[in-house]
Formats: sequence, C-alpha cells, structure tokens
Amino acid sequence: MAKRLSFLVNTEKCIGCHSCEMACKNYYQLDPNIRWRKVYPLHEETFTLPERNFMSLACNHCAQPECLRVCPVGAYTKRKDGIVIHDHNRCIGCRLCTMACPYQVPQFNKKYKKVEKCNMCFQRIDKGENPACVDGCPMEAITVIDLNSFDELGTVEAFAGFPDPRITQPSVRFVKPQIGFQVRRDR
Amino acid sequence: MVFNLSFKKEGYTVTRHVCPRNCYDACGMLAFTRNGILKKIDGDPKHGYTRGKLCAKGYSYVQRVYDPNRLKYPILQKKRGSGQWKRITWDEALDIIANKILELKSRYGSHLSMALNKYSGNFGILHYAVEGFFNSLGPTTLAVGSPCWSAGLDAHFYDFGAHKTSDPENIKNAQLIILWGINPAWTAVHSMPFINEAKKCGAKIIVIDPVFTTTAKKSDIYIQVNPGSDGALALAIAKILLEKGLYDKNFIDKYTYGWEKFKRYLEGYDVEEAASLCGQKPGLIKDLAEMLGSTKPAFIWTGFGLQRYVNGGQNLRAINALGAITGNIGLPGGGVHFAHQDTWDFNLNFLNVGQDKNEKGKSTRYVNINNFASQLKNIEDPPVKMLWISCRNPITQDADSSKLLDALKDLELIVTVEHYLTPTAQYSDIVLPATTHFEELDVVPSYWHHWIGINEQAIKPYFESKSDLEIAQLISKKLNELSPGSCNFPYKIKAENILDGLFNEKIYRMLDIKHWSELRESPQRADIPFTAWKDRKFKTDSGKYEFYSHNAKTNQLPALPVLKKGTNCDLKYPYRLLTPHSQHGLNSQFQNLRCILKVNPEPVILINPKTAHKKNITENATIKIFNNYGEVIAKAKISRDIPSDIILCYQGWFPNINFNLNKLTPGLSTDMGEIVTGSKGIAFYNVFVDIEKI
Repeated sequence: MAKRLSFLVNTEKCIGCHSCEMACKNYYQLDPNIRWRKVYPLHEETFTLPERNFMSLACNHCAQPECLRVCPVGAYTKRKDGIVIHDHNRCIGCRLCTMACPYQVPQFNKKYKKVEKCNMCFQRIDKGENPACVDGCPMEAITVIDLNSFDELGTVEAFAGFPDPRITQPSVRFVKPQIGFQVRRDR
Repeated sequence: MVFNLSFKKEGYTVTRHVCPRNCYDACGMLAFTRNGILKKIDGDPKHGYTRGKLCAKGYSYVQRVYDPNRLKYPILQKKRGSGQWKRITWDEALDIIANKILELKSRYGSHLSMALNKYSGNFGILHYAVEGFFNSLGPTTLAVGSPCWSAGLDAHFYDFGAHKTSDPENIKNAQLIILWGINPAWTAVHSMPFINEAKKCGAKIIVIDPVFTTTAKKSDIYIQVNPGSDGALALAIAKILLEKGLYDKNFIDKYTYGWEKFKRYLEGYDVEEAASLCGQKPGLIKDLAEMLGSTKPAFIWTGFGLQRYVNGGQNLRAINALGAITGNIGLPGGGVHFAHQDTWDFNLNFLNVGQDKNEKGKSTRYVNINNFASQLKNIEDPPVKMLWISCRNPITQDADSSKLLDALKDLELIVTVEHYLTPTAQYSDIVLPATTHFEELDVVPSYWHHWIGINEQAIKPYFESKSDLEIAQLISKKLNELSPGSCNFPYKIKAENILDGLFNEKIYRMLDIKHWSELRESPQRADIPFTAWKDRKFKTDSGKYEFYSHNAKTNQLPALPVLKKGTNCDLKYPYRLLTPHSQHGLNSQFQNLRCILKVNPEPVILINPKTAHKKNITENATIKIFNNYGEVIAKAKISRDIPSDIILCYQGWFPNINFNLNKLTPGLSTDMGEIVTGSKGIAFYNVFVDIEKI
C-alpha cells in the first residue's frame, strides 16, 4: 500500500474542547445526534490523582477494518492511501458494522436509516487540504500522518481507555499526556 | 445532507463575522452562504488572535441559527407564565408596547415607570440602540452594573488607574505563567496555544484554583486553594518576597506609591495564618514566592471567578501587588492581566440621556442590576410597571431568582427580545424574535485581545426576527404615530449611518482604517501597546502603581491591599457551592442546542468521593442541593476535581429541565464595583448549601 494515512492525536495538547468534533459537524452539517468524531474524558478510577485526559477519536481507518469485513453489500472500501470510505448509496442500514467496530465509529442515522462515518475528509485530502477536524482544533493537537514513513518514536498505539489495537490495527497514534505536580488541600 | 461527494468550496458567498458573546475570545468568523442559506462557519484566518479556529460553540452556529426551537414571530402570552402563547404581528406587538408606554407616561407624568434590563448577550455596539431608545425618551429606570467583573475592574482602577492588557500573544515571552482562578482551556481556548508555546520554551505554568480544571491539568504545578482565600495567599507570597529581598527595588522606587506603608503591613503579616486560610502549607508558599521572585518575566492572569466573592476586589488587589513588587508590570511577557477597555472608545451617544422638556427635575433612575429584584419591589414614585429585557436571561442568571420572579408579578408589561424561549422569555408577556449576528450589521470589540471586527449581514433575518436597533426604531416610529414628538430615537436612519456616527477618529486611527466598511476586508488589530503599561505611566492620581490608594479609602475600602476574609460555611450548610462557567455554554447560551445536548445532555452536581461516601451518594444518584433560598435537583457526578467541602455545578440553561442554580444564590455584594460599572458585583461564590440523596 502506497500510504497508510492516520490521525495523530496529541493528548498532551488536547484540552477536550470538542472543537474538532463540532468543526466536523459544521463542515458536513451532520445530524445533531451523529458524531463522526467524538471527544470524551477518560475514566480516572485507575489513577492516584485525577488526570483529566481526553480521547478525541474519529474513524481509525484500520489496517484490518472490521466494518469492511462484515459489510454484506460492500459499502466499505479501503483506498490506496489507507482511508476507509463508506458509500452511503450502497449502505442498506443493516448495522452489522456498528456492532463489529471496536471503536463504535459507524453511526446509524435514524432519519436516513443508513450508517455513516468519518471519511477523513478524503475530498479535502485529495486537494492537499487538512480534514475539517485538523483545521478546527485550536490546539493543533490533531494531524494526519503517513504511518509508512512516520517516525513513531514518542507516540503510542494505545493507552488506558483505548480498545486493544490488536483486533483491527487502527491507523491512529497518540502522544501520551503528561501529568504535572498537584498540591491539593484535601485528598 | 449526510454525505455529499460533490462538496465544493466554490459557489459560496463568504461574509465576515465576530462572535458577539460575552467571551474573552470574540472570535473572527467566516460564514459560508449559498442560495441565502447559511451552510457552514469557519474561523477567520485574518484574525490574528483566533487565527482561523473556533471553539465548539462557534462551530455550532449553523445549528443555533436554524434550531427548530428558535423564535420566528412576535408572540403574546395569554397569562404570564401560563405557556399559552399566541402569534401576533409586529404591528400588534408594537401597538401594545407603544400604547402601554404612552399610558404609563400619562399615568405617572414621566417614563420612569419603564425599566430596562440589558447586559452581555450580545456585545455588538449597535445593540446599544436599546439604551439609546430608552434614553431618547428622557429619564427612565435603567439597570446598571455588571454581574460579571465589577469588583476586578475597580481593583485595577485603584491600583493602575485604568484597564490594560498585553496582547495575549505576549504570553509566549513569559518564563513563569500564573493562571490564577482562570480556566482558559474552557473559557479562552485561543490563549492556550500561547501558553503551550511558552511552556515549550521552558516557561513554568502554575495554576491556582479551588477546582482542578482542564487548565490545571495542563499546568506544571497545580495549587488547590480555598475559595476566596487568594488574597491571603498573595499577601503571604508578598511577605516572603519582602523577607528574602526578592523584590524589584528599582521598580518600586520609581513607579509605585505607598510601598513603605504596604511594607509595614507585610512585616506584621502572619504567613502561618494565611497558609491555614488558603489550605496550604507555609513551605509551599515559600517555594511559590521563590519561583515568582526569581523568574522574570512572570505573566499573571487573574480570572473573573476569583473576584466573585465578598472580598473579591481586595483579593485581586493583593495579586496585582505581586506584579508590582516583582517589577513584572510593563515587561514583555510579564504583568498582571484581568481585562481591558482600550478598544471600546466608540461614540456611545446612545448612553446619554436625552432632553425631555416636559420633565423638569426628574432624572434617570439607575438601579443596581445585581439587586434588581429588591429594587424593583421597593422602588416608588413611580413604581416600575413595564420592563424591557434584551441580551439577558435574568431569571437564570441573576441571584435569588425566586425573589426576582416575585418582583416581576407586579409589572403590567414585560417585553423580552430573544432567540429562544428562555426562562425569562417564558415569564414575559410579549417576546420579540431577535436576529443573530449573521442577520444584522454590527461591530464587535473584545475585552481580552485587541482586535475589532464586523458582522456583515450574511442571510436575511430568520422569519420575522429583527435586530435590537430595528426594534428600537419601530417603536420610536409607532410612538410618534400615536403621539407625535413623543420619542426622538432616530427611526429613519440606516444601521450603516448609525455606525458612521459611532466610529470616531480615535478608533479609526487605532485600527488604521478610514471607514468601518474596511473591516469587511479583515478584522483589525488596534494599535495599542503589545505590552501593557510598558511606559509605566499609570493612570492613578499619583501617576504611579498604587499600593496605597486614596481613592479606595475615600470609598470606605482599605487603602492598602490588606487581608480581608470572606464568609465561611456554617453547620447548617457545610458545603460551598461553586457555579463557574460550563465548557459547552456561555452563561445561559448554547446549552439548549441539540448538538451541544448530545455531548452534555444534562446538568450534574459534582461532589468529592469523600462527600459521596459520607452522604451515601453513588454516581448518577439523584440528589438535592439546598439552602435557605431554595433547592436544585440533579444527578450526582463523583469527581476529584473538587475537594470534599465544595459542591460544584456548572451554570447554564438547559431547556425543559428545572435547574436554576441561582435559586440558591443570596446575592451578597462583592466589596468593589461601583466606580467602573456603577454598582457592586455579585458574590456568586459566597453560597453555602447542604446536599441530600432523594
């Protein structure tokens, strides 16, 4: 494969502001209930002190996409650059993909009775532009990288709260958050 | 549209905008319109501070404009609070309003029975037309003051004599950044990249806040202080700076006033006691002082929440003093920052009361916006009978909302201009639909950065909505039809010409433009110093930074930034309630949108795990918080963001959910505020409650 395009999410930079998610919604004018990109806080139970880390996830454009594997009508294709595209016209709304994806990426739209998901703004990528979420992030915490040439040093495939990457080999990498020094008056 | 392969950038009409909400960032925006419909929003890359990026709220604007619940027509409520609304025409609405105005005038001999309550829902300068309309009638009753930032503005007035901030980009030059009671990761996202950049270059970030905020998480050092004890901490730091000789003698000698007196005060100041007040150990305070005293430049940014205490202004003065003692004021990358008013010098003639020949001896009644309910109830000769509300939702945002509801009962006509049926609109007789900043012309400055931009009209007004200016003009016209000469608000002038009159040479020079229409090309940065107080020519009476303020003394306040304690909880109501801004809304705006509800569906009450254990409360249990003033019910969220003696709820308005935090706010006054805004602020955080599982 020529390229393996992937999102690199810098969770140290991420402030959980949801701008990426809303920039995506704004660009495609999605149904208010549909989230192609999702920002959510990570569970903190496992930490000594609260860390307040966030996960910003869209489609991970996996190397082994489960959605593509289970789709009975071939609505999913994987481009040469790694982007997994869902064809709305082919989709019959059976929702197998929504059950197969470990990341709950494909979303069922009740109005159209079909599934939809992030296509990494491939039309923008083809024009040499960034995806809407990348351009919308005030912290510049999301970038698109090519995993075939990217130096992964300093990044991780997953961290606490992220489903096991061995299942689908998601094309997503993270910069892990750091934790500062906290002086609390009451623990 | 779900998935459109034929999406093209071409074919859109692009217009320039500025988000006019009460927000630090006042973002530059581009609106993309096709066939008269707003299709999407983008950040304006020509805006030097927001640099083409928006926040989640900003990206939700198309939803906000076309939300199915947005008000389309003027509506009349059969009986106030009944929910039985009837669509009426603009002409009918204007008839009712104008006739009431004239009837009240003949009943009381003046327009004093008409009151206006307007504030920060839209900071565009043409929205002052509402005040302009009231003032053109002659003396009326006007709510003055600000629920937001009054104490801090006065504190800065006493210390500096004026309100100036460095460009936020200046943060990049800092070696030490103290974010004191401010959470820019939520409330000023565009400042965060500058903080990150400073961090990358080696700056240390310290966050001092009672709440472990997202900004705190991003800091190197987070210090959890007791709410309202910030002054105690600042003075303890000041004392250690003094003891260790870590002060800037040159700056103090040359540019400050009253140091000897302040020094004497600090000499007798008890660090141990201060430490116990702010819930910290003296050792930590020493470390902090040493960091501040040995790192230059240090950029201190104080938030608004910090001054919403009965001792808020005084606390801010103590923090300001740290900037002066260490000589950080006027340094690139240094200083103490709160908010500025440098780009607001428009010709706001709207704010001047017009001459009314028939009303000799009567003058405009100014009532404290923060004590509006009591004043409404007690004001006589004449009593207030008609209330106009615009750019506000006082029923959720004012203190002691039960009292306000009660006071509103005596009114004969309440008119609210709104986008949505807010709790205030729900309690009005007539609601007039307002345009958004995509449907009207306007110009918007900021109180944090130094850019000014335009709101062009991108789309036609939504259904029958109208701008505040147009509404003022229509009533003026109607009044003159019914009673010629009764109102001199200019109703034949176009918005463009009114803008001509609001701009002046000073503003044009500042923006380096010849006419406001040039803002259509790009928002403009005002030409004011990149570093605040670089010349160290302070605007106080002494011309120096004043540790000792005669003005403060004249106003029955301590002349020095001495320790002033706040209020504490009692056995009956042992928890302090903090109600800061939410991430997804701005005061009572935005949270009602469907896309925002999707990510933040309902209000929650944050409690510490210890408190939860003590009260036998589990995650998501429905709980009640209550005090003498009222009660609020919501789901519990167990969180270590707050210590065990604090209960935290983010303020805002959720549609169809009875969640009004200000039922619990008694509305104590802050210590300062009347000089700059006309009245003291509200001590929103001197509120104590108990909680209970239900």
